[in-house]
Amino acid sequence: MPTSYSSYFYPLLKKHTTESEIKWLDSIPKDNPNALMTAFVKAPRFLSKTIIQEDVEDQNLIPNLPGFQVNHWNLVRLSRVWFLGFLVTLSKDELIEKIETLFDTAELNELVALFSSLPILPYPQVWLPRATDAVRSNMGFVFDAIALHNPFPYQEFPELAWNQLVLKTIFNEKPIQMIYGLSERKNQNLSISLISFVKERWSAGREVPANVWQLLVPYLSEGELYLVETLFKSRREEDVLAASLICSQSELNSYQLLGTKHPKFLEEIKNGKWDWSKLGNNH
Amino acid sequence: MCEKKSDLTTNPSHFENQNKTKDTPTHMDLQWNDYKDKIKGFKFFDPHIHMVSRTTDDYQNMAQAGIVAVIEPAFWVGQPRTGLSSFKDYYSSLVGWERFRSSQFGIKHYCTIGLNSREANNERLAEEVMEILPLYIYKEGVVGVGEIGFDDQTELEEKYYRLQLELAKEAKLPVQIHTPHRDKKRGTERSMSIAIEHGLDPSWVIVDHNNEETVKSVLDQGFYAAFTIYPFTKMGNKRMVSIVEQYGAERIMINSSADWGISDPLAIPKTAALMVNRGIPHDVIRKVTYENAIEAFAKSGQIQVSDFESSTPSDPNEKFHGNSVLRGGQLPKWNQNSLYID
Repeated sequence: MPTSYSSYFYPLLKKHTTESEIKWLDSIPKDNPNALMTAFVKAPRFLSKTIIQEDVEDQNLIPNLPGFQVNHWNLVRLSRVWFLGFLVTLSKDELIEKIETLFDTAELNELVALFSSLPILPYPQVWLPRATDAVRSNMGFVFDAIALHNPFPYQEFPELAWNQLVLKTIFNEKPIQMIYGLSERKNQNLSISLISFVKERWSAGREVPANVWQLLVPYLSEGELYLVETLFKSRREEDVLAASLICSQSELNSYQLLGTKHPKFLEEIKNGKWDWSKLGNNH
Repeated sequence: MCEKKSDLTTNPSHFENQNKTKDTPTHMDLQWNDYKDKIKGFKFFDPHIHMVSRTTDDYQNMAQAGIVAVIEPAFWVGQPRTGLSSFKDYYSSLVGWERFRSSQFGIKHYCTIGLNSREANNERLAEEVMEILPLYIYKEGVVGVGEIGFDDQTELEEKYYRLQLELAKEAKLPVQIHTPHRDKKRGTERSMSIAIEHGLDPSWVIVDHNNEETVKSVLDQGFYAAFTIYPFTKMGNKRMVSIVEQYGAERIMINSSADWGISDPLAIPKTAALMVNRGIPHDVIRKVTYENAIEAFAKSGQIQVSDFESSTPSDPNEKFHGNSVLRGGQLPKWNQNSLYID
C-alpha cells in the first residue's frame, strides 16, 4: 500500500488553525473518499487563508521527499493537500478516478492544491501528462504550483518537458531559482535553447535575467565567447557580475582570459561574496 | 438561403425595441472624457456581465472606470451546446480561466452557476447537467445559482427551474433569475410565485432584467430588482434614472449584462454619470451601482469586500515570498494611446 504522508501535515495544521477550524478538519471522516472530496471543495467555507509561516525556509517537511515544502502556502491549500493524502489508501483505479474528477472540475485554487499534492501521490507516471500540461497553463498561480518549489518536475519530467518548464519560467519572468533541482538538471539541449533565447532578446533590445547564464556555463564554447564579451559591456551591474561568474567557472582558457580583462568582481567571487544565488530576480 | 434583407439581421439577446429608438442621451453616446470626472471616487460592482464574450480591452476600460468586482452568471453562449463536456468546460472556465484573466486587471471575479433556460429545453442534456451542478455550486467564489428561469416558458424550463431552486436552497445560495424577453410580465410573476412556493426567502432572490411593468411587484414581494442597461432593450439610462427617482434605491441594482451582443461593459459607470447629471444623490447612486449587489450576493458567504475595497489583492495566493511575481504572464496595463508597443 502506498504511504500516506498526511500525518506530517497535522502538527502544522494544529499550529495554524483556530479551535473551530481544527474541529472541522477533525470532523471529516478520513476513510470516506466522497467526504474527503467534498471537504476538498468546501474547505474555504470553513477555513481562513492564514499563511503557513515556518522559521526554517528550506526545511524538508517530509524526510524522504526532499524539496517538498509548504512554507508560504495558505491554510486552505495545506488542508486540501492533507485531505488528498488520505486517498492513497484506495485501489489504484479508484484513486485515479477520484483525483481525475477533482482535476476535471477544479477551480483556480483547487488546481493549485492538486498540483501541489503531486509529490505525495503514488503512481507519478499517471499524473505526468497533467503536470506537463500545467506548465502550458496561462493561469499564473497554476503554473507556479507545478514549476516553483515543487520537486515533482525534477523527479519525473523527461528532458524535453523539463526544458520547457525552465524556458517558460524565464519567459514568464518568474524566479528560476525557485525551480527545485534547477542546477542538477542542466543539460546541453537547454543551453542551446537558451543561447537562442539570449540572441532573440538582445535583437529585440530586451534584457535577459542575469541568473539565466548559470545554466549555460558548462556548455559555452569558443563560438559563444562574443556573447559574454557583450555581457561585460552591459550597463546592468548584475550582467557584468554574471559574465564574471561565467569566466571564473569556465574550463576554457579563452573565457578565463576574458575574465582577467574585467577584474572588477574577480576577487570578491574568489572570496565567496558572489555566486549565482545572489543574482535572483526575486525582487 | 437568405431571401429578404431581414433574414440577414441578427436577433439581439436582449431585444425589445423593434424600432431601435434610443433614449437621448444614452450611455452609448458617452466618451470616457465626457464622464470620467463625474464618477471620480466611485467604485462599481457589476452583478451581471458575461466576460467570456468580452475582450481584454473591456477589462482594461472597466478597471479604469472604477469597476472593482463582477459577477458572471452562467448563460447561453449564442449557440446550443451539444454535449456535457461543453458545459463542464464552460463552468470550469468561469471558476478558472476567466477568474484568473479578471484578476490580471485587478477586478475580482465571482460567478453564479446554473443551467440556463434556453438549454433547459434539451432534456437529455439538461438531465446530465443537473448531475454535475453540485460539483460546481459549492466552489469558492460561486455566489449563487443562476442565471435560471424562463425563456419560452415551456414545461421543461419550469421543471429545471424548480430543480435548481431546490439546489440553491440546499446549498444556501442566492438565486439569480433571468426573466424572459417575451411575455415578460407573466414570466416574471410566474418565476416569483414558484420561488415562493418552494419556500425561498425573496430577499435571497435577485430578479433580473426588470422594466417599468415588473418592478413594483418584484419590490412589493420583497425580491431584489435588477435592471439591465443594454442598447435598444429593456432599460435606457433615462428610464433607469426615472425608476430610481420613483422607487428609491432599496433592493434595486443595475448591471450591464454585456455579452456577445451589441452591449456595453461600461453601462454602470456611464449610467452613474448620467445619474450625477440628473442630481441623484451620491449615496443613492452608490447603493444601486455597488452596495445593493454586494448585500444581495454576500448572503452566499463568498464575498469578502476587503478583496476589492483596497487596491492590493488580499488573497494570499496572489503573493509569494512577499512579492507579487505570481500575477501571471503579461503585464496588461500598457498605454493604449501610445503608438509604440514595447
